[in-house]
Amino acid sequence: MAGKPVRPVNAIDQTRRMLSLVTYLRERPGARIADVARAFGITEDELVSDLDVLPMCGTSFRGGDLLDIDTDGERIWWHNPAALGEEAAEPLRLAADEATALLVAARAVTTLPGLRESDRQALLRATAKVETAAGEAAGASARLSVTFESEGGVFADVDRAISERRRLWIRYYSPARDEITEREIDPIRLVSVGHTYVEAWCRRSEARRTFRLDRVAEIKILDDPSTPPEIELRDLSEALVQPAAEDPEVVIEVGPGGRWVAEYYPHDSAEELPGGGLRITLRTPDPASLRRLALRLGGDGRIVSPPDLADSARSAAAGALAAYDTPAEPSR
Amino acid sequence: MAIAKAERLMNLALCLLGTRRPLSKRELRDSIEAYVEAGRVTGSRLDTAADEAFNRMFERDKDDLRELGLVIETVENIDGEVGYLARRDSNRLPPITLDAEEAAALGLAAKVWQQARLAGAASGALQKLRAAGLPEDVDPYEAHSALEPRIPVHEAAFEPLMLACRDRRPVLFDYRKATAARPEPRNVEPWALECWRGHWYLAGYDRDRGAERVFRLSRITGRVRVRGTGFTAPVPDVVTVRETVAGWAGETADRSARIRLRSGAGYPLRARATAVRELDGGWDELEIPYGHGLDAWLVEFGPDVVVVEPAELRADVVDRLRAVARG
Repeated sequence: MAGKPVRPVNAIDQTRRMLSLVTYLRERPGARIADVARAFGITEDELVSDLDVLPMCGTSFRGGDLLDIDTDGERIWWHNPAALGEEAAEPLRLAADEATALLVAARAVTTLPGLRESDRQALLRATAKVETAAGEAAGASARLSVTFESEGGVFADVDRAISERRRLWIRYYSPARDEITEREIDPIRLVSVGHTYVEAWCRRSEARRTFRLDRVAEIKILDDPSTPPEIELRDLSEALVQPAAEDPEVVIEVGPGGRWVAEYYPHDSAEELPGGGLRITLRTPDPASLRRLALRLGGDGRIVSPPDLADSARSAAAGALAAYDTPAEPSR
Repeated sequence: MAIAKAERLMNLALCLLGTRRPLSKRELRDSIEAYVEAGRVTGSRLDTAADEAFNRMFERDKDDLRELGLVIETVENIDGEVGYLARRDSNRLPPITLDAEEAAALGLAAKVWQQARLAGAASGALQKLRAAGLPEDVDPYEAHSALEPRIPVHEAAFEPLMLACRDRRPVLFDYRKATAARPEPRNVEPWALECWRGHWYLAGYDRDRGAERVFRLSRITGRVRVRGTGFTAPVPDVVTVRETVAGWAGETADRSARIRLRSGAGYPLRARATAVRELDGGWDELEIPYGHGLDAWLVEFGPDVVVVEPAELRADVVDRLRAVARG
């Protein structure tokens, strides 16, 4: 398997879909394209491309019947369902990867603290049934696991506010400034990407903001209606926070002990330095927020620019040392 | 025009599923248009090059069909000729009945993967269940929940490691430890992958170190190579990735520390405190759990935190502050 060229994912996915499709269509003469596409979780175009291939397929060899399936653009007709034979039309068992993908995801979703209890129970029942039906194929699913993190009480309030379309009041902790701010937000949706976030219209900053639930110190559902402006939902599959091109640039040099910075902070470049260090260039709308990072790095790194950020870290450290009755060593 | 691969795979699958007796390679080659076509493109069917090309294609196609779950048997008849078939008994989905609520719950779960292979496999599973009568048209999540769970997979090492865990095959990869400049080769028998706080980790047996190790996938550099077959060390029944990672993150505190914190500052420290006492002059005193990494975290709060005890933590924090003050 090693060294295998790029997998023809589409051909495999399409084949497995078409195998299920013939079973499904056999039971439903005149099925509507829109309904079938929805049931299979595919676009109508994808379904139509399957319907182009199916008439080229058949079970028998040496000149047997091909599947006579066609569509008028709205409904799907199969004129010779007998061509498939009674047996070849039965639903197929789950493959190991299919069982793993579905079971691992289902188990992960049941760990979401904010899931409604009735939904969690339904998912647990479904998971048990799929495990049984998958049989041996379910075995490998134990080798993959996912835990979502989210704060149960906060999650439940946000979820309720969204479904009842009500505004929220939160006290929110901002680690960059080590401060708690009060805000009213109109929640739009909950997103779990490692941590759980609520995407909302923040009425204080009059902008779309993403709030991490474990940083919500306090939450209340207000009586006011939630009225977020119509905004386009972003694809959150990439990083939730993307620096903008016009944000100020910060340069940090770290030793080997500070290389983790490149893993946690999206950056423009990370050049290797002699001795195992890195010179990391990144952009942030608020360079002052990186003072915490400079302090955390201690001897493992320093801010090169902007100079005032470096100064602010130095003076914060000197101020802290004063409390220990230990004078800071003079700069060299 | 070359015949689409999906059409070829579909015909092979239907032939193997539709037959009651094993079909020989020759019969399959003659009856599937795509194989006939491929022979014509390459030249004469008697040509050994064409035979080899067909054989390679046929083997790959069988592998692909097995990948999507088809159980294909290889049977030898009395004349010693090899034949293939996919028996209904071994390929039929056992009866499964799911109600509308259960169906909707699975529908939500099938959408969470952000990795192509697993996303495809999850929809494939749902489609098979759909063909077996999984109820449709009810989607309570769309109606009343705004929850959108997503499982992120950004690491290139994920897919090869997932397959190696599945097939229990040893792997070789270059791994850069958190504090190391250069990656080092690691020889690992991979047991399980776990996603925690949005990052993927691998647990397995490190052959060179002769012990269990946990690896963070984002620190794997270069390609993951599969090395031979078979594990040499026993696989434990329970693999505990999370405990190990929590230890790295300093979340397995075994002691406690006393600190002074300026009023209003350091909310996350307050949230973890086991005791808080108000002092004079705008300060509070907190008892907090003391585990690995606490010193670096406390330094982040600059002049708003003063460590009272233990002396060891106090000294570590002072050292770090001095390093920053020196710039």
